[in-house]
Amino acid sequence: MNERDDIAADDAFAAKAKTLFDQSVDGLDGETRSRLTRSRQEALAAVGGGGSRWMQWAPAGGLAAAAVLAVVVFTPTPQLDELEVPEVATDMEILLTEDSLEMIEDLEFYSWIDFDAEAGDGEGPTNNVG
Amino acid sequence: MNAYAANFAVSCVAEDRREVDTLQRERRLNQFFAGVEKRALRIAEISIRNRDDALDLVQDSMIKLARNYADRPDEEWTPLFYRILQNRIRDWQRRQAVRNRVMVFFGRGNEEDDYDPVAAAPDPAGRTPDEELQTREAMQSLEAAISALPGRQREAFMLRTFECLDVAGTAAAMGCSEGSVKTHYSRAIHSLRDTLGEHWQ
Repeated sequence: MNERDDIAADDAFAAKAKTLFDQSVDGLDGETRSRLTRSRQEALAAVGGGGSRWMQWAPAGGLAAAAVLAVVVFTPTPQLDELEVPEVATDMEILLTEDSLEMIEDLEFYSWIDFDAEAGDGEGPTNNVG
Repeated sequence: MNAYAANFAVSCVAEDRREVDTLQRERRLNQFFAGVEKRALRIAEISIRNRDDALDLVQDSMIKLARNYADRPDEEWTPLFYRILQNRIRDWQRRQAVRNRVMVFFGRGNEEDDYDPVAAAPDPAGRTPDEELQTREAMQSLEAAISALPGRQREAFMLRTFECLDVAGTAAAMGCSEGSVKTHYSRAIHSLRDTLGEHWQ
């Protein structure tokens, strides 16, 4: 098939596709057509209404912003020295210090010391390693 | 006092003219939508294979055009409208892809499989049952083949063939160069011809 035949075949294909498509458009049911008409009316009602959606919420938005500002400004805030540090925070602070982490790493060793000290009546651990 | 009256008269005339302009623009826009809405619906429906969602996309596109671009020259409306619609279609497809992934993750099937092209096919238009059946089957085959095309090829083919936009208008609607439109269209039509075979023609 030469190039001219190929172009002609493309055109014939496109023409048939267009005919079928137009038939399917013409065959749209009444309910669908009705919905399209309603959609069109809604769209036409929006002509030139670029900012209307935002503008209709502007008063409510302003009131909400004012209320938030009032709460922030007039709510008494506690002084720093009045703040109580929760116990959990204190525990976390102890746990997260460097020394404590070292202790955790050597927990087995300290456990052995403790056990050995109890066994030897507080004389300290015996060196039985190795 | 006379100057005040003259100013008032001029402002009234200007106001009347604005109202007339707005009414004329609405009338032209109404004609434009009436002329394009059914084809736009079918194009969207072929792309996403869901009529209800296609109706929503067309409505969103009409509202956006009316709200933001009604004051543009009339000849720009068609490519603008289809550009909005194509963007809506792409957004829908992206959301649907994510939704399908989530559904698969939770073990739910793909609801797109429930699409029944026979049930969604248009009503008969005064043809004999045999003709109607042949036409319907041919259109179903065409729709399935178009749906299987890559997105940009599908857009180029439908805008050029179904909406009869020229290359420049299609490029504006797709947001790409005219050369890209030609490439996408050429690949699309050859792919469709290969898929549907000689007997379809």
